[in-house]
Amino acid sequence: MANEPRKASRRDFLKVGSASLIGLSVGTLFPGGTWLDNKIYAIPASEGYLLVDTKKCAGCLSCMLACSLTHEGKENLSLSRIQIMQDSFVGFPNDITMSQCRQCAYPPCVEACPTKALHADENNGNIRVVETGKCIGCQRCIEACPYDSNRVVWNHESKHSQKCDLCANTPFWEEEGGPDGKQACVAVCPMNAIKFTKTIPTQSDSGYNVNLRNVHYGKTGFPTN
Amino acid sequence: MKGYMGKILRVNLTDRSISTIDTKQYEQWGGGHGMGSAIFWDLVKDKTISAFDSRNVVTLMTSPLVGTLAPSAASRTEVQGIGPQAYPYEWFTRSNVGGRFAPMLKYAGWDGIVVEGKADSPVWLDIRNQDVKIRDASSLWGMDTYETQQEIWSDVNNGLDYGSWNQVGFGRDGGRSTQRPAVIAIGQAGENLSRIACLIHDAGNAAGQGGFGGVFGSKNLKAISVIGTGNVEVADPNALMQARIWMKEVHGYNVDEPLRESPVDNFSLYGTITRRPGFGALLLEVTEPSRPKGCVGCYMNCRKKTSTAYGNEASCVEAIFYTSDGPENANKATDLLQKYGINVYGILQHGYLRDLYKMGVMGPGKQIHSELPFEQYGKIEFAEALTKAIAYREDIGADLAEGLPRAIEKWGRLEDIESGLITLPNWGYNDHYDPRLEVEWSYGSILGDRDINEHCLNWSVHWLPLVCNAIDQEPIISAEDMVKTIASKLVIFDDPMMLDYSAEGIYSEAKAKMIYWHRHYTRFWKQSVLYCDWAWPFFVNANVPDFKGFTPEGEPKFFNAVTGSNITFEEGMEIGRKIWNLDRAIWILQGRHRDQEKFAGYVYDVPTSAPYALTAFENGKWVYSDCLDRSLDRQKFEDWKTMYYKLEGWDPSSGWPKRSTLNELGLGNVADELASKGKLGSE
Repeated sequence: MANEPRKASRRDFLKVGSASLIGLSVGTLFPGGTWLDNKIYAIPASEGYLLVDTKKCAGCLSCMLACSLTHEGKENLSLSRIQIMQDSFVGFPNDITMSQCRQCAYPPCVEACPTKALHADENNGNIRVVETGKCIGCQRCIEACPYDSNRVVWNHESKHSQKCDLCANTPFWEEEGGPDGKQACVAVCPMNAIKFTKTIPTQSDSGYNVNLRNVHYGKTGFPTN
Repeated sequence: MKGYMGKILRVNLTDRSISTIDTKQYEQWGGGHGMGSAIFWDLVKDKTISAFDSRNVVTLMTSPLVGTLAPSAASRTEVQGIGPQAYPYEWFTRSNVGGRFAPMLKYAGWDGIVVEGKADSPVWLDIRNQDVKIRDASSLWGMDTYETQQEIWSDVNNGLDYGSWNQVGFGRDGGRSTQRPAVIAIGQAGENLSRIACLIHDAGNAAGQGGFGGVFGSKNLKAISVIGTGNVEVADPNALMQARIWMKEVHGYNVDEPLRESPVDNFSLYGTITRRPGFGALLLEVTEPSRPKGCVGCYMNCRKKTSTAYGNEASCVEAIFYTSDGPENANKATDLLQKYGINVYGILQHGYLRDLYKMGVMGPGKQIHSELPFEQYGKIEFAEALTKAIAYREDIGADLAEGLPRAIEKWGRLEDIESGLITLPNWGYNDHYDPRLEVEWSYGSILGDRDINEHCLNWSVHWLPLVCNAIDQEPIISAEDMVKTIASKLVIFDDPMMLDYSAEGIYSEAKAKMIYWHRHYTRFWKQSVLYCDWAWPFFVNANVPDFKGFTPEGEPKFFNAVTGSNITFEEGMEIGRKIWNLDRAIWILQGRHRDQEKFAGYVYDVPTSAPYALTAFENGKWVYSDCLDRSLDRQKFEDWKTMYYKLEGWDPSSGWPKRSTLNELGLGNVADELASKGKLGSE
């Protein structure tokens, strides 16, 4: 019942190392023998990211409910762009996985989209979003997402892909979202286990290296390390 | 109204038929308990049947708020039916369970489940959105609740591991989910028809009181599993979102910067005041790396998950069932209860068994023969032997599986209940808070069907002064300010004397108003709308400077945002009154009369000897009284009952509702049924 180790792939390396790729010259031989394409450099970095502290998450799924509510106007865990997975019978900290879009510096989902429906939104800090009108429902972006679970979500009702837009487009919430606004999941999380940042987080295959637990949290007896 | 799925799943296990009930027929009841009582009323023609009769109907109901962002309301399932636990009468009763089951049921498209009949062999119910199957459970029978759930998870996901998106139903348009199915299951105790068997969901969610585990067992129903990918419609998403943020930012405990926090580190009990995350195990500290854990949609997250996974999600008394052998074994003992599916309150007073052993009454070759390892009492080995004996009906477990009062009756020791050697004050249920003192709890219980387990006032009037006192802290709010704060929220009464727990106050007319308010509040807002007992109402809030909690503003705020209706707090209370009267009518058809509404003898005859903390108006001022040397006066309590019955519009000679009362509530058909049985109160 423990969390499955994620499959390693070339894309893993790319998204993990992508932050440091920016400075490489075109044509650098990539370890593994793959030549990087010019278009890598055509996708500017996102100006916003969700930070999650998996050890602080209480598994209440309020973030999922808020995501679905503000974007879709209804409650549906399957349509939430952030997914919290948990197992009641597993020990801390391996009992909960938080699956939020990393807004990858090199986004395989963008690369995979044949219609450019999935693109970096220049008007909203280059966050990677789906223009649903252009989405043909081929699901290649979902398959391309290197993470398990895939951070691009299939909307089985509207038959298109959708993903975290940092709340740039929340038709059912009056607040302004996006990199300069509020995010629904951050706003409701009772544990403050999700935060927004404009700085590319330090990350590894297993997730972000994030600790949002301070001295007050420690006073309740729960670990802050 | 929005928030409903429109259909209630109806399953007849006898002929294995599956049908639906239109939710609209029952919307007037709000949801949860109100709907469950109304459905029970309609479907169970003979209310005098026993709990294990195949004609008993069990309802598992949600509410419009379930599955939504309404705080600490998204997760609750109200379970009802005739329960085998109460003593000496098997009252129509209720239990309530959190976790993920109710929201998943709604995402699958159902407002509730009605289970009728009895399968001729073990079955489990497999719900995947609209696809519902009654499946063979012969391979699950005999498994504990944890094994059962994991087997079902694997089955539903075709043996694949979780951690990814899984298809639910056929084709890519059926929807996907990363979530495990929500399963509610019985363990060996339920299979063996124990009266203290419960339903377990995930690790630490139990529908405990009432004995519904045994009822499932009697129906050969091992488990219900549900996974859904659908929507819960919300009338005003923006209003719901903004209300939730208001709840967090104004009223919630700020984990990073609390306004008030415990002066003592790692002191769970202080969470009864601040409602900080992870406080649910109460007396237990955090002893290993852990996290707080919440049910779906919670804003408090009172539970806990540990690095060993022992005691995961356990809270309240189930977490402190057996603490004498160190924290890890305390958690292991709790897990035994969860796995066997035993209601902790059915065996919490295991010390009584040790007493009998020490008295030479119980043990090998003694009057009550037992080979349980009493010499290891206090060690985990005894807890293992005791829980196993109960689950499998071995040794004295055969008697204890019938519940302590019935075991004690069989052992010919009913005087132990009367004397208070074992404290089972009302309907054979375990003592919870002192019935001689904290009377909103005891009066509510004896007027109803079980130990009420409603902490509405209890957090404030009892726990706050008690916990402050325990750490030598001056109570953070004075008794006078507390009663004024609470009273201002007791719409429609606003009378501080309702909070007077003095020796006189507990028999007052104001106390009758308090019970009237409490019974109606809980029946609607708590058990029908399904706001969690531990989170609602909020009277005294340590997270705001002036201590004013969100009641009565919060209750209708979320209900209206989700449903699109415009009901007031008072209108909700009136629906609660209607539900309370319907329940009353069911009990009366089961044989209820005021003469039965009496406590065990010790409540009247044995004065309290340990300090207790409650708000009281003594010598002309409000204090936190230690309530020493008090017992209940028989005649004064009887006089108080008369006053209360009159307030409810019930005939004080019988405790039966009058036709005029029922008509006023739109329950004319209920009055007709009572009249036909000669059980209508005199005008």
